[in-house]
Amino acid sequence: MVKSVQPILTVPAEVGTPKPNPILVVDCLERSFDGLKAVDIDHLEIERGVVTSLIGPNGAGKTTLFNLLSGFEQADKGRWQFDGQPATHTSPDKLARRGMIRTFQLTKSLSKLTVLDNVLLGAPDQQGERLWAAPFQSKWQQQEQANRQRAEELLERFNLTHMCHELAGTLSGGQRKLLEVARALMANPVLIMLDEPMAGVNPALGQSLMRHITQLAFEGVSVVFIEHAMEVVTGLSDWIVVLAQGQVIAEGPPWKVIHDEAVVDAYLGGQQENRQR
Amino acid sequence: MEFDIIITNAARAAVGPEALILALAAIGLNMHFGYTGLLNFGQVGFMLLGAYGTSVAVATFGWSLWLGVLLGLILATAFAITLGLPTLRLHALLFAIVTIAAAEIVRILVGSTDAIGLTGGPLSISFDAGAFYDLNPYPDGPNDRYGAGTFEFTGQQLWVMTVGWTLVALVSVGVFLLVRSPWGRVLKSIREDQDAARSLGKNVFTYKLQALVIGGLIAGLGGVLDAIKTSGADPNGFRPQVTFFAYAALLLGGLATYIGPVLGAILFWFLRELIESFLRQLVAQTWLPDAIANFFDGAEGIISVGMVGLALILLMLFRPQGIVGSRNEMQLNG
Repeated sequence: MVKSVQPILTVPAEVGTPKPNPILVVDCLERSFDGLKAVDIDHLEIERGVVTSLIGPNGAGKTTLFNLLSGFEQADKGRWQFDGQPATHTSPDKLARRGMIRTFQLTKSLSKLTVLDNVLLGAPDQQGERLWAAPFQSKWQQQEQANRQRAEELLERFNLTHMCHELAGTLSGGQRKLLEVARALMANPVLIMLDEPMAGVNPALGQSLMRHITQLAFEGVSVVFIEHAMEVVTGLSDWIVVLAQGQVIAEGPPWKVIHDEAVVDAYLGGQQENRQR
Repeated sequence: MEFDIIITNAARAAVGPEALILALAAIGLNMHFGYTGLLNFGQVGFMLLGAYGTSVAVATFGWSLWLGVLLGLILATAFAITLGLPTLRLHALLFAIVTIAAAEIVRILVGSTDAIGLTGGPLSISFDAGAFYDLNPYPDGPNDRYGAGTFEFTGQQLWVMTVGWTLVALVSVGVFLLVRSPWGRVLKSIREDQDAARSLGKNVFTYKLQALVIGGLIAGLGGVLDAIKTSGADPNGFRPQVTFFAYAALLLGGLATYIGPVLGAILFWFLRELIESFLRQLVAQTWLPDAIANFFDGAEGIISVGMVGLALILLMLFRPQGIVGSRNEMQLNG
């Protein structure tokens, strides 16, 4: 699984441990719902250019953490940096323009746009999205053509070429997940945050999606994804962060984390423990 | 019953100045609601400002008509911005409530007795639109009529229609050019899921404001034409139902289609006049029992609007996408 000798491998597997080259640095982040702390993180760093997975039982605060970091929800307190710049109290669209692109657990594919248009929407810095240039096709035609070519390549990679001109609402749930990932990639992310990208995707496509994710990290994109299935995570991630009840209870490389007692206890659930006893 | 007269009356209304003004209002609404998903219930407010901007500039300030037109359009734009800045971040339904209230506020303000010196208050305001009719190429003597039978217009009316329908065409082309661009793609993404648009780096608020201004400006243009057509403005002409007529036209024709709002406006006036003419002839029939005749007599206009509403309900049941809309698109949700 070792792609190259990575600095992340030298990092000790301890909660809150500093990383050599972090893309995200989170400090004292808190968010409660009706007095229940959904997220309560003292310190967390996400390494640049590697695949980090965020795991934890239902209700551990994984999606809330995503929402906070990407600006879709307001934190009660705390601050965080993205790519060396402060990212606290920053609007989601601004963060996206800085290269933090996320997907959603409940896919937000736009069902009344074609599959191709969905992906094209992701392209950054479009001339034709400016009101003054929009009516004059000559001003944006060339860029649109280039974007279209790239979009078609992405759709091909995710086996969606045949659906290219269909409305996205006609896609299956799994296909919508793939479409959302393709659209996110279209945005040239610096950091891509995927919320359960594999849920509902058929295993073969899931595999290809995963290969794509590792390839991304190889190209220097930082990847964070939320996943439930431990076996998917271990083969794929360079680093695993385990959340339970809003707190980071363990982090480290896969082979260490899966044997961590706190993880087995919290994540794999008490039932399994009980059975062993 | 003279059915030929009923038909020509209806056809006359369908191509007349009222239809083209409604078409402009509906095109603007299509920009707001059809493409961007903004539930604007205050479209009539934009029309009012277009009409009163022109009227006040000419009648009260003594400006030229063309400066008046400019003022009307500027006021419509200003209305869009003052309305949009504080409210576009709100939930869609709150935005809807604010728009209907804002349109009522401007109507009540221009119609108040305190504003008599400026807008004519509750009395209507009138001005000389001669500068517009000076350009009229159609001979307009007292005996000049265009058309045949009841399908007939004066030279002045024909000139208003020529300019108006040309503007409808130009505005429709403009909307087409905008909506088919990547800019239009962002609008449609906002209509469906603004968080998706945000997550891809689109500044949703800016796009909504742009759409609100453009749609409002188009409605304002309708108001300007209304003022020119009647050489004045009356606060009673800008009651909330005008907005709902525009919605009716838009839904009849087809939401988020290029030609839908125009077809819808034509059809709206056709049906309305058709039913009204029919009822008017009906009450004149001797075989009709008096009780029924008395019921309809004088209420033809109201009943015909009610019947158009009924037609709209049937349309929503059997063809929810409107006349030219796509059913597929209509049925896809989430």
